[in-house]
Amino acid sequence: MRGRTALVIGLTVVIAVVIQTTLFGRLRVVTPDLVMLIGILLALTRVRTEAVLGVAFLSGLIMDLLGASLIGLRAVVYTTVAFIAIRTKERAELGRVTVALWAGLLTLLGVVLILLIGTLFGQAALLGEGAVSVMILVPLANVAVAALLAPTFVRLVDRDRTALRYP
Amino acid sequence: MLTSKQSDRALPTFISLLVIGVLLMTFDVRLEGGGVVGVLRSGTQAIVSPMQRIAAFAVTPIANALDSLSNVASLREQNAALSAQLAESQASLVAVQDDLAKLDLLEQIYDLETDGAELGQTVANVIGSVDAALIIDKGIANGVLVGQPVIDTNGYVIGTVKSASSGSATVLPITASRDGLTVLVGSQTGTLVTRPFSSDLGLEMDLDVFDAREPVLAGDRVLTSAASTDYPAGLPVGEVIEDASPESTSLTTSVRPFVDPEALRFVVVLAWPPDPVSAATDDTIPETTDTTIAEDATTTTTTPEDDG
Repeated sequence: MRGRTALVIGLTVVIAVVIQTTLFGRLRVVTPDLVMLIGILLALTRVRTEAVLGVAFLSGLIMDLLGASLIGLRAVVYTTVAFIAIRTKERAELGRVTVALWAGLLTLLGVVLILLIGTLFGQAALLGEGAVSVMILVPLANVAVAALLAPTFVRLVDRDRTALRYP
Repeated sequence: MLTSKQSDRALPTFISLLVIGVLLMTFDVRLEGGGVVGVLRSGTQAIVSPMQRIAAFAVTPIANALDSLSNVASLREQNAALSAQLAESQASLVAVQDDLAKLDLLEQIYDLETDGAELGQTVANVIGSVDAALIIDKGIANGVLVGQPVIDTNGYVIGTVKSASSGSATVLPITASRDGLTVLVGSQTGTLVTRPFSSDLGLEMDLDVFDAREPVLAGDRVLTSAASTDYPAGLPVGEVIEDASPESTSLTTSVRPFVDPEALRFVVVLAWPPDPVSAATDDTIPETTDTTIAEDATTTTTTPEDDG
C-alpha cells in the first residue's frame, strides 16, 4: 500500500518531468507546469504533508538540475506552493471547477515567485522572455489540466474511487 | 508511513526545506555552476536523458504538428519574405563565388597556403527545453563538452554548452546568458548583453560599445570578436536594429539575434577551442571530426587523410 503509493507518486513525477521538458518544452502556446501541478494536487490526497513537501522539493530540484537556472530555485518555489496548497485545500474541495481555479491561482503564485526570486538571483533572462505571457498562459493551462486530471490523480494516489466526487 | 493522517509537522518541514533550498542556491552562485553542482547536473541528465530521448521520439511529430497549426496563419507572409530572402541570398552567393575565385587566383600567384584547420562539429537534435535552456541529444560520448560554442545550421551563434552528461547536454542561449558576449560591429568592439523580460514580439539584446569612434547603423551585422574567449571570431550573431551615435565615448543600441532558440530543432556544437596539444605536435592537424547526422543517427568519422 505505502510502497505502491510511493511508486505511483514517483512514476507520476518522472512522467511529468519528461513530458514537461520534452513536449511542453517545445510548444509555445500550451505550456502548463505539470511538475508544479503535481505538488499542488498531492495536497488534496491523504499523503502525509511532510511527504508532499518532500516530493515538491525533489521534483523542483530535478527541474533545476535539468535546466540551467539556479539549483534550488524551483525546489524552493514548488515547496512554498505545496505548503500553501496544504494550508488552503479545504477551501478548494467544493467541486471540480473550484479545484481547477485553486490550482490555477497557486500556479500563478508559483510563477510570480519564480520570476521574483529568479530576478533577485540574477536569473531573469534565463527564465525566458515574455514574463507577462508566462504569468497568464501557465496558470490558465494548469487550470485546464487540473480540471481534467485532478480527480483521477487523487483517486489513483489514494486508491479511493470516491475521492473528489461531487454531487 | 507515507499515507496517514495529516500531522502538524508541515511547518518545520517546510522551513527546513526552504533553508536547504536557499543553501543550494547560495552554493550554486558561489561555485558558478561547477564542482559538486556540475556533477549533480550531469548525473541527473544521465538518468533522465534516455527517457527524454524516447519521449522526444514520440512527441516530436505532435509538437511539429501543433507548431505547424499555429503557424498556418502566417505562412503566406513567411513564404513571400523567404522568396525575397532567397533572391538576395542568390545574388550574394554569386558575389561570394566571384570573390572566392579571385582569392584562389591571388593565393596561386603569391603561393599561399591556407591552414585547412576546420573545427569538429557535432550535429544534435533539440529534444526539449527547460526555461530558456535547450536540451540536446548529444553529450560527452559524442565529443560535446561544457563551454563549447553552439551554432545553428546556418552558422549563426546560439550559445554555449552549460552542462553535459554522457548522452545529452544543456545549451544556454546567448539571449539567456548572464555573461556579456564580446562582439564586433564594423571595426568597433562591443559587449552584447541580455535584456530581461523582453517582449514576445522579438528577442532583443543590448549592445554597448564603450570605445565608440563612429555611429552604428540599423542593419549592421554583429559578429563574434577575436577578443571573445567563448567563441571563434567571425561568427554571425545578429544585426543592429536601431541607429546609434556615440555619446561622449560610448554608445548603446539594440540588436536582434539571428536565432530564436525556441524555434530550433537542430544545433551544431563546435569543438572549440581546438586541442592545442595535437595542433602543436602535428602540423598536418590530424583532427578527428565526429559528425553525427541528426535524423538517421549515423556517425561518420573523418580525418584529413580521408579528406585527401
